[in-house]
Amino acid sequence: MKIKSLLIANRGEITIRITRTAGKLGIKTYGIKTSKEPNAHYLTFVDEIIDFSDSTNDIPEFLDVERIVNSAKKNKIDAIHPGYGFLAESPFFAQRCEEEGILLIGPSPQVIYKMGNKTIAKQIASRYHIPLLKGSQGNLSNPKEARVIADKIGYPVIFKAAAGGGGRGMRIVEKSSQIEKMYRLATSEAEKAFNDPSVFIEKYVRNPRHIEFQIVGDKHGNYIHLGERECSVQRKHQKLIEESPSPALNETLRKKMGDAAINIAKATNYFSAGTVEFLLDDDKNYYFMEMNTRIQVEHPVTEMVTGVDLIELQIKVAQGERLNLEQKDIILKGWAIECRINAEDVQGGFSPYLGLIDKVQYPRSKNIRIDSGIADSSVVTPYYDSMIAKLIVHGENREKAISNSINALNKFWIRGIKTTIPFCKAVLMNKKFKNGDFNTSFIEKEMDQLYHQDKDDEMLAAYLATFDFAAALETDRTTHIDFEQGKNISPWVLNKRLRSL
Amino acid sequence: MKLSRSKESDTEYIAVSARDKKYKVVNPFSEDLKINSKKIDIKIFDDENGFTYILYKRKKYLVEIVEKSQNKYTVLINGVSYNFTIETPISYKRKKYLEKNKSKSKVELVGAPMPGKIVEILVDPGTKVKEGEALLILEAMKMQNEITAPAAGNIKKIFVRQNDIVNKEDVLVEIVK
Repeated sequence: MKIKSLLIANRGEITIRITRTAGKLGIKTYGIKTSKEPNAHYLTFVDEIIDFSDSTNDIPEFLDVERIVNSAKKNKIDAIHPGYGFLAESPFFAQRCEEEGILLIGPSPQVIYKMGNKTIAKQIASRYHIPLLKGSQGNLSNPKEARVIADKIGYPVIFKAAAGGGGRGMRIVEKSSQIEKMYRLATSEAEKAFNDPSVFIEKYVRNPRHIEFQIVGDKHGNYIHLGERECSVQRKHQKLIEESPSPALNETLRKKMGDAAINIAKATNYFSAGTVEFLLDDDKNYYFMEMNTRIQVEHPVTEMVTGVDLIELQIKVAQGERLNLEQKDIILKGWAIECRINAEDVQGGFSPYLGLIDKVQYPRSKNIRIDSGIADSSVVTPYYDSMIAKLIVHGENREKAISNSINALNKFWIRGIKTTIPFCKAVLMNKKFKNGDFNTSFIEKEMDQLYHQDKDDEMLAAYLATFDFAAALETDRTTHIDFEQGKNISPWVLNKRLRSL
Repeated sequence: MKLSRSKESDTEYIAVSARDKKYKVVNPFSEDLKINSKKIDIKIFDDENGFTYILYKRKKYLVEIVEKSQNKYTVLINGVSYNFTIETPISYKRKKYLEKNKSKSKVELVGAPMPGKIVEILVDPGTKVKEGEALLILEAMKMQNEITAPAAGNIKKIFVRQNDIVNKEDVLVEIVK
């Protein structure tokens, strides 16, 4: 089957990203308009808009399985791309698409279910002798059971939500006496976030690296991996800067972990693009964590070093095509780094920063890729996550990729809101980061200040504030503009005074 | 009434940062601009859309005054915000005098670091807490965050109840050191 039309059941930068490949493949795209973001930037990229603005449902638009499926049917759309988040890893949604004869760009509902459940995923991995952390054999039914296991494997241990992701429903336990409190917190958070209170327990690796492998499988039993992504720069389990390859891996370890990732995919007859996540400890032991059955936010770093369009592979594999690449065709060239630009106030504890973006100015160069969901006059609303754009920069080696990224960030201007740009600069200029010597505790332990300031910035800010204050004061004093004196006055003040009259 | 000033006398302002760093700005509008006694060349201008830029050492900065009320300013430059209080030499002297005479506060107010919902309160009035001890749990963006004591002391008052929705900087707990 050849896909001719595609409904993108998502918003923001990923929707725009998908339209780019769809356009290249001659596929007509449909996007969903909501009342929460009626003038969103992504809507200018899709060929047709399906209007969900009248939605009075309690279910958020991008989670409304039946409405999305019905819209696809009504408009005779061949396939749905779920992007990431929302319904991307919902086995129920995948099932409904299958029942209605709509092709979902992703793996089968059965695989989404198995891999979405960390407990089942770990059982599959253990059958294929993939290294796993010690822990409970399945979900826990009470804190007592947790204590027995924890006492046996030793502290610290971690509670994790079986249905978890994004760091929610996780609690670290340092000693036996904390078990009950943490069990309660983990289950209640899991219940709220995933509608499933199930948690399991496993040995907690202090300060590991987070390394993930991109794999792609087709419907004919062919698999490749496209190298790893280093995602250790995290704050509260949220990734902020990713890169490919990882400074922690050599060819031997890459091959071992890559083979393990492919074995996980084989074990479930996986097709589509997927990501196998591992923890890597200080002694370079790796442990299988989970598999994400969707395209990931950080997929562009892999695309930049491999030259492969992952969305294109996803679509072709979904159509039943065979992979036209073999493992030997995958060569990682140079280095790529992704900085997530979130609408957040880094100085205010990374709290969401909502508001109107008056102006965006992007850096431009052939080694820069920007996947952005915003434009001048875009609004950051409280309804969705805070990521507004991604800056992906290539360099011939890691050092170059870092310096190119810093240059790019210096030319990336957003007016109207605060973003994580000053944070990203601070990370990229950090000595330990530059040396590749970091793990998931990096932000907490190695960063004295979470945002970068240039030497003169504070002085310039002081001058601007003083200037404005003094100008207002002078205006009050004179009450009219003295054009004689005006000659010595900056045009900026004069302009401001004229406007205030 | 028109106040006359002699052309020779300098106008002087002091910008005091939140961290108490002082910038003495002399003659802000003239060619004789000095900041902390150093002669400096800075240009400020607006573009046709009303966006303000600073030109300094051949570098252009997109800058913004995000908030001002009386003499308090918040300025954004390179994505980082800076808070200043602008004083004249006379108001600065008065402020210093007042600060010196103010006794050190014994009360610590714990505010919400972000908007969210109070899902659990872990202390009661009268509880003795150590610095860093969890006081309550605030759920924001589906994450549960522990709000901890900024200093050791006794809980005097709790201003919220379970399931209350709070805004950023709402006072949650009062601790007496």
